[in-house]
Amino acid sequence: MSVLETPRIYFTGQMIWDPIVTNNYPRFYDEDTADPVPAGDPVADFRQRAIGFVDPANWNPHGTHRSNFLAEISGVDVGNGLDTSDPFVGAPANFLGMLVDAEPYGTFSSQLFFDAMQFGIAGGYRVTCPRRWRAMSRYINFNRNTWNTVKAGIASTIWQTSIPKDCGLQLDPHDSPALQALVEALADDDVLGLTVRWNTYRTIYYDDPTIRTNSGGQLSVDAQALIAKLNVPDSFQPNPARSELVGVIGLWRTGEPACEPGDRSLLAQLPNEVVATAFARVTNDTLVIDLGNSVTEVDAQLTKQDLGTLTVCAMSPDGSTVVEELGTLAYGRYARCAYLATSGIVELPLTSSSAALAAGAPLQVRSGAAVYLAEEVVRAAPQTQQIIYLDQGGDSVCATLQVLSFGQPAGAGVTVSRYIATADSNGNYTDTFLDSALTGADGVASFEVAPAGQGAVVQYVFAVGSDAPVPPFDPLLTPYIYARTLPADSDIGAKPPTWDNVYNFVLSKWKAMAPCMDNWLDLSSPAQVHAFGAMLKKLTDPDNFELYRFMPVTRDMTDGERLLLWTFLDSPLEAGAGPVALGAGAVPPAPPQRNLQALSRLARS
Amino acid sequence: MIRLQATPPSNVDDAIAMLQVAIGIEFGTLPPYLYAKFSILPGTNPAAMDRLGMIVGQEMIHLCLVCNIVNALGGTPILTAPVYPTTLGDIGPPGGDPLTIRLLPFGEDAMAQGMAIEEPEEVPPYEVVELLGAAPGGAMTIGQYYALVDAFLATLPASAWTPDNNQITDNQFFAGQLFAVNGYADAHNAIEQIVSEGEGAKDDPLDFQNELAHYFRFGELFYDKVLTKIPKDPGYQWGPAPLGVDWSAVYPAIPDPGSHDFSADSEAAQAAQAACNAAYSGMIDALQLAVKGEAGQLGAAVRKMFELRMAATAALQIPLADGKCVAGPSFLYVPTGSGASS
Repeated sequence: MSVLETPRIYFTGQMIWDPIVTNNYPRFYDEDTADPVPAGDPVADFRQRAIGFVDPANWNPHGTHRSNFLAEISGVDVGNGLDTSDPFVGAPANFLGMLVDAEPYGTFSSQLFFDAMQFGIAGGYRVTCPRRWRAMSRYINFNRNTWNTVKAGIASTIWQTSIPKDCGLQLDPHDSPALQALVEALADDDVLGLTVRWNTYRTIYYDDPTIRTNSGGQLSVDAQALIAKLNVPDSFQPNPARSELVGVIGLWRTGEPACEPGDRSLLAQLPNEVVATAFARVTNDTLVIDLGNSVTEVDAQLTKQDLGTLTVCAMSPDGSTVVEELGTLAYGRYARCAYLATSGIVELPLTSSSAALAAGAPLQVRSGAAVYLAEEVVRAAPQTQQIIYLDQGGDSVCATLQVLSFGQPAGAGVTVSRYIATADSNGNYTDTFLDSALTGADGVASFEVAPAGQGAVVQYVFAVGSDAPVPPFDPLLTPYIYARTLPADSDIGAKPPTWDNVYNFVLSKWKAMAPCMDNWLDLSSPAQVHAFGAMLKKLTDPDNFELYRFMPVTRDMTDGERLLLWTFLDSPLEAGAGPVALGAGAVPPAPPQRNLQALSRLARS
Repeated sequence: MIRLQATPPSNVDDAIAMLQVAIGIEFGTLPPYLYAKFSILPGTNPAAMDRLGMIVGQEMIHLCLVCNIVNALGGTPILTAPVYPTTLGDIGPPGGDPLTIRLLPFGEDAMAQGMAIEEPEEVPPYEVVELLGAAPGGAMTIGQYYALVDAFLATLPASAWTPDNNQITDNQFFAGQLFAVNGYADAHNAIEQIVSEGEGAKDDPLDFQNELAHYFRFGELFYDKVLTKIPKDPGYQWGPAPLGVDWSAVYPAIPDPGSHDFSADSEAAQAAQAACNAAYSGMIDALQLAVKGEAGQLGAAVRKMFELRMAATAALQIPLADGKCVAGPSFLYVPTGSGASS
């Protein structure tokens, strides 16, 4: 199943990230209350403080959240290996999404809201992918580019979404054998649609690859230059970051998680996690491994780490003994050139007997005595709801996890346990058992995710088995879901719908946090806001939550705030309405910690 | 097509002068394209909004790239705001009239004008426009004009180029498409990109990024047909799939508002025009400063462009004296003393 099956399409290029990052810092934003900090700070003062924090941390106060590909189709594989002669190769890969973190303080809950992605162009070779689910960031790898410690530059991550074939997915193959093969494969009833998976890595900031560290030096020089630009009156100064990108388009089959990899999970090995978690699939004659997120680049030339010849082994059931060496991957198979050519996907031919063995034996990837990757045979993965938004006092959501055993949907009766992950003041994670559920015949376990009693961000982690000690959360190892509950803000919703109230309790927050809003609408102008009332209601309608243009882009508008805004928009505009500024003090930031949580936060510094 | 009269440059000053003309053309295409885009009713014509938006963005990039070449040659780019209708220097076909470029609301005339502006040296035979050859007697298309400059630039020694001189790059805007010109190789790439995106590659409607070139995007809008690949010569045809143009979903905007006498119109209409002109002028002033090396001014120019969009939206909702029509921005530069030319 999955993109590890053929036919598949490769793409490569860059990804541009332009998020506002002011809300990443507790000194500016409270992610529980969804309010700027300090509450009521005048917009101009807040903006100026945000600019003042550019050096060393707040690298994009004028961001737009827009994130896009600069990429093209780089190759195809219809079952005969890499082919760069298919006419689809070279077609543009277009994606435009809004990068939003459900938990703004950390990096484990990134998601891309988008309306459609398109590979190729109208009238030509094309795959049109309307959005069904957000693209989710998974398996963030903090070991990927350790020489590039500036902000999130150290890390790579897997992005994935899937597009059901009955939701507007359209392929225009013309004479492209690869697209024709995809069309044919999609006719299979077991194929649900297409999956698009991509990996982003080696992120640079200020468009300056010479910045390698997180403070001082050239970073400070560039930050000061940005501050000077930001202080140009009445100007718009975004500062997007850039990542390298490789990706793959392939089949999405029944039982496959839509928004994160399924197949067989070859987990990174503690303590050093030298090679990050990979995913494998065994067919009758081939072993396919997705190393797209796995092997470190050791320098600015993006040279892949030479781990020697990697051996893929079928192990005894307890993983202690090599039963058979299935094949080897010499350095050239995972070096830079090969990585770009097939987006990190490698294949090993198998004899029929080896394939039969590999289908039911735990897999390991080793180099000599070193075990780099080891299969977790039975594993649960969220199907589509990696990130859930809830409203205080609102409805619960049913989250479903697909349990896979040797990459195939498990049967009924498998226990999946849920834990709440919390980090202590030192950043050490503790997982506290919450409840468990049994899979149905399709291998799916369901959990009710209820809103918190107040605004909060909760991280749930999952493990197959009954309540038992589980390792601390690790994004390379642990299946997880984030649930963000937005406070009800009933008191705000009950306020008279005056302009002063709407501005002070709703719009001033957006205006402070997102200066790019000025490009579209003056949120301090009651006349403009009222004139665009119909559009504002449409863009803030919860029914449009998944849209690219939903407002606010940060998805942190509370029910009370919406009620107040909509009541105002539905009322005649009062005479003499005008903006009102508020005032308050400052809150110092929490100190960063050096561990996984700290790495997550460090990416925000 | 826009036909320009030129002889091969013999020195850097000649090349800069030719590039200055090119700046005028790249800049001068923006108001008519923007006027058409602004005039589309909000929430309608998504295909047209998408195509016009991409064309406008690329024209802005072209403008910046030509300015980068001028700066790299040690010159100073000058932005001069045309008054519409204008010819943008077109000399017209032999014995014929120059192309008159107007501010037209979104419609077939505006799209036909866009096609005419972007028309390549050879029009592919998969649409109804007659095949046109290169104009004789020193007259040439924009692509040929750029080729003439490019050929001369190739002869310049490295010492003729000034690296890192007031260059605008894509650090903040236009990711992946706008780059510094520090020598001939960069200048050549810039010219290739400009010509490719405007006219397409020779015998191919696709530009260097395998996207449709401007001429063909306007063609899709004009014909309301998707330019579609076919398995026989000439390789493409218009349709049969419609693009989805709604010619009626347009503000009733007058053409060439710069030629309209607003004195008989309401104060609101006059104020709306003044707001448009102020935003437009502010944008030009900031852009002029940006291409002279004030890095932060590009962000100011972009901000002013958003102001212009908002002012245009307001203007297009205010009836003129006849009670039927409205006017979009006149794109009249109001001198402010900040450096741009009127």
